[in-house]
Amino acid sequence: MPSGRHSRLPPLTLIKDDHQGGAGQAHSVRELDWSILMARAQDGDRAAYRRLLEGITPFLRSLAARRHRDLSDAEDAVQDVLLTLHAIRHTYDPARPFGPWLVAIANHRLIDLLRRQGRLRSRETALMPEHETFSADQANLYERVLDRRNLQEAVEKLPAGQRQAIRLLKLEEKSLKEAAAISGMSIASLKVATHRALKRLRKTLAKGGAPR
Amino acid sequence: MITTPDLIDSLAQSMTPVRRLRPPLVRAGCWLMLAAIILGLLAVSQGIRPDLLQRLPQSGFAIGISASLLTGIGAAIAAFMVSLPDRSHLWLLLPAPALFVWLSAIGYQCLTRWISFEPSGVELGETARCFATLVLTGLPLSLAMLVMLRYAAPLRPTATVLTGSLAVAAITATALSLFHQLDATVMILIWNLGTAVMFIGLSGAFHRKIFSWVTPRSMPHRQS
Repeated sequence: MPSGRHSRLPPLTLIKDDHQGGAGQAHSVRELDWSILMARAQDGDRAAYRRLLEGITPFLRSLAARRHRDLSDAEDAVQDVLLTLHAIRHTYDPARPFGPWLVAIANHRLIDLLRRQGRLRSRETALMPEHETFSADQANLYERVLDRRNLQEAVEKLPAGQRQAIRLLKLEEKSLKEAAAISGMSIASLKVATHRALKRLRKTLAKGGAPR
Repeated sequence: MITTPDLIDSLAQSMTPVRRLRPPLVRAGCWLMLAAIILGLLAVSQGIRPDLLQRLPQSGFAIGISASLLTGIGAAIAAFMVSLPDRSHLWLLLPAPALFVWLSAIGYQCLTRWISFEPSGVELGETARCFATLVLTGLPLSLAMLVMLRYAAPLRPTATVLTGSLAVAAITATALSLFHQLDATVMILIWNLGTAVMFIGLSGAFHRKIFSWVTPRSMPHRQS
């Protein structure tokens, strides 16, 4: 509660010696104050409305803090209550006490917010390290190593001519002429061997893994 | 996210004077008056069922029709009470006794004349006219109720819409038994329970969407 409101109370609190009674009276005076401010706000008094909203915010915060542990959640709830109060300010009847009206709105909104959070939490899963993946090459090393080994094994299992053709032309990326000079095979037979080797590799790798 | 002092600023800036709602009993009375006017107009245009005077002294019929009327009145009052934030939700129980009597009356009629659950119990010609009455009563009453109850949207939408549609359904069922010869048991069952279940089912399924059409325009959008 803002301290400014206390300063208007002394005439009332001084009469009562009993501290408890004084507090009760202060409470009802505060409520009466809010009720008058709200009635004036309904008639279009903006300053009264601003004073009312500023006055009830600490009270709403204390209500919200009881239901929400997280401070930002509580503040969110307070704003939600303020927006709702603004939208349905027609429904306040100045002949009735302001407190129950405000508390009822606040409770409805606070519980709604809790329900909404509950629903969200039941559908969401927290992001754990094992859910993470990266597009960078380094992140997928394991699979690449596996693929490489499979390919090497498959190449080892090829017949000698085909193996040499693949190694020279594809793995070492030599030209047909260089490969022909190194292996002593004709260009035509190198082409045929490469073609057959690729076909065979495609078959074995598609089966999943090197041929046994 | 906008800070609370900023929010208070913008709310105070955008504030316009509002007209206070009349007391809930007065508003329920207005709605019931509208229902009475609609029933009166329908009575003029469609005509009361010819055997109404003979049927009224029969206790089963009289109890059924007065119970459905009382359910309508009670549910209307309950809906307007519950739409306000500071009224007790015990108002929801107001239409319960009449609703119980109404359903028991239908059930009793079914029990005593269960034999007429046969093809002749359903008349198609009457069905079309019943449907006209249903739409002519139910539609304007539902729309009026919806607009009058729009401030309940952020608070107790489900309870308000359910009692509101119970009121519409009960008044519509009363109209049906006033204007149509629904002596075949199956017809009574279909039209009484059917209308109630239809209104309540539709409103239960769509209450949030329905209210989103008519929610207060002054609700500022939140910037987050």
